[in-house]
Amino acid sequence: MTTTFEDLNAGDAIDGPKFAVSRESIRLFCDGSLDYNPLHLDDDYMKGNFGKTNFGGIIMHGMNNFGLISRMLTDWAYPAGAIHRRLETRWVKPVKPGDTIQPTGIVKSKQVTKNSRWVLIDVMVRNQNDEKVATGEAMVEFPN
Amino acid sequence: MAQAEAFETDFWKDANLRKVWDDIVPGAPRKTIPYTLTKEAIELYCRSVGEDHPIYFDEAYAKTTRYGGLIAPPSIHILLMFSCTPADDWMRSPGTLNAGQSWSYNIPARPNDVITLQARALDKFIKRERLFVVHDNVFFNQHGEVICSGRGQTIRPA
Repeated sequence: MTTTFEDLNAGDAIDGPKFAVSRESIRLFCDGSLDYNPLHLDDDYMKGNFGKTNFGGIIMHGMNNFGLISRMLTDWAYPAGAIHRRLETRWVKPVKPGDTIQPTGIVKSKQVTKNSRWVLIDVMVRNQNDEKVATGEAMVEFPN
Repeated sequence: MAQAEAFETDFWKDANLRKVWDDIVPGAPRKTIPYTLTKEAIELYCRSVGEDHPIYFDEAYAKTTRYGGLIAPPSIHILLMFSCTPADDWMRSPGTLNAGQSWSYNIPARPNDVITLQARALDKFIKRERLFVVHDNVFFNQHGEVICSGRGQTIRPA
């Protein structure tokens, strides 16, 4: 069923696809994003401490979460003729090889402005233990 | 990976040439370089996040959409941040931790766009003994149109 602005209500859910995180998926994101920070590649480097934090091994790029949320939003918006306009995210917990993560969204509110119509969405990414690893807010435009 | 071959993937190389937190001046522009976004680079990025919508891959389908041709996904700025900056940019400093981002999207980037970046550190501060820098960025296409703009925070290596 195609989503329409009129039919949307606060509390409506958007589900993104699950994503299996592996050393290979992280390496592929390095190649796709050109972000080769050793945080994502170098086990020896990650044995060290970052201030008070020790990650215990390589971690997934935070922006990989961002890309997955963005994918969920565009896949939801395109069939409705809507446009993904904004995404703000914060990283809550590191993601590591072996984790399976999934982005979701919940419609928070709708707003009509002088020239267009907008849907505000709370987004998050959870891991296989149902822990939040990323949270944020998105804005999708439903042009008149 | 032709793209990666032309790109210095060893972020330790010349790491001492990059600005540390103390050197970063809020308001001072970062050095940037124009980048031609290829279809292959878009496809590689898409694979890395599982993007499979035909609007990124199927020219015939893309022509039937409001965009009239292939586009890149909005989050392509993740790639552009590194492709539009030189090897001595401080965003490459090993240990740079991303603390959050917000991005606004105007028009999509497309294959063969020549993309330029205007970027700067906007602010820096210390919180819970961590060294933060706020950076802001605007990507333009070859017509001077804004593709997207965004702001992020990184925790700098001590």
